[in-house]
Amino acid sequence: MLADPNMKILVVDDMVTMRRIVKNILKQLGFANIDEAENGQEALQKLRADTFGFVVSDWNMPVMTGIDMLRAIRSDERLKTTPVLMVTAEAQQSNLVEAVQAGVNNYIVKPFTAETLKEKIAKIFK
Amino acid sequence: MHNQEHKLYEKLGALTCFVDNAMKAILTVTPQIISSSTQLPTAASHLSDLSKMTEDGTLEVMRLTEMIQDHHEQMAKDLSSVVEVLQAMDCATLAGRLQNVTSVLDRDGNCLTEIMTALSFQDLVAQRVKRLVAVLDEVQGRLMELVVMFGFQESCEAARDAGTAGDLLKQLEESKTTVMKQKLADDILAQFGFK
Repeated sequence: MLADPNMKILVVDDMVTMRRIVKNILKQLGFANIDEAENGQEALQKLRADTFGFVVSDWNMPVMTGIDMLRAIRSDERLKTTPVLMVTAEAQQSNLVEAVQAGVNNYIVKPFTAETLKEKIAKIFK
Repeated sequence: MHNQEHKLYEKLGALTCFVDNAMKAILTVTPQIISSSTQLPTAASHLSDLSKMTEDGTLEVMRLTEMIQDHHEQMAKDLSSVVEVLQAMDCATLAGRLQNVTSVLDRDGNCLTEIMTALSFQDLVAQRVKRLVAVLDEVQGRLMELVVMFGFQESCEAARDAGTAGDLLKQLEESKTTVMKQKLADDILAQFGFK
């Protein structure tokens, strides 16, 4: 995998269990520098205050949804090239199209496997 | 003219009869409507509790799984060091056997990761419960509008006791309030001399 194992990754999800699962898989894949946020707004604050190499985000979250956060990232001059992977239960085609149009780098539908996450990260950083 | 009036009265009579029947039908289901409107908040509360219980259980399984993963990581490191020493001492057979153990640990590691990912069911459960609670809130709001609109007089407390669903929810509510944590039970038992 060409992804830098030392890059800082931000995991965004309002559910503590999902954040822990994603963090665990990322750790198994060799990434140890991981931070968390509970919603899009908190994630944007962290992204603007620090340097992250990758964002893994849920869609449905209170305060600010993942899709709104993605749009904010893409319209921010400093953050717009940050790779964003959406991990979501929103499995409608229209959701996927909306995410692609907003500039998502890849999209995983819940429930997912570690292999799927590994494969998507490999595609993003190839 | 007389004929038209007659028809009009006939239609008004039919309409009055329809409204009367509708009112009777509504009054018949009045206890159920009041009962449902009072039970729905309890049902929503139980659903939210269910979500919390699955979250607590999931977090505990995660904690234990992560602990085993950490132990495996440490074992793999130790085994690797031992294998290096054995190879340097020309003990190839023993080193090979220990490498087999390392392979088993790797396979177990994959299983542990699968256990972690399988726990994502909790997130999906929580999302569905949240939607159900929203639906129940909506239904309760509509039922309350009906209650207010038709001025139902029946006591809500009396209605709460009606019906099987009401009884079940009552039992659940009672079980919830009488449930005690094991630590508290042990503390009380200790006060009575149980060791």
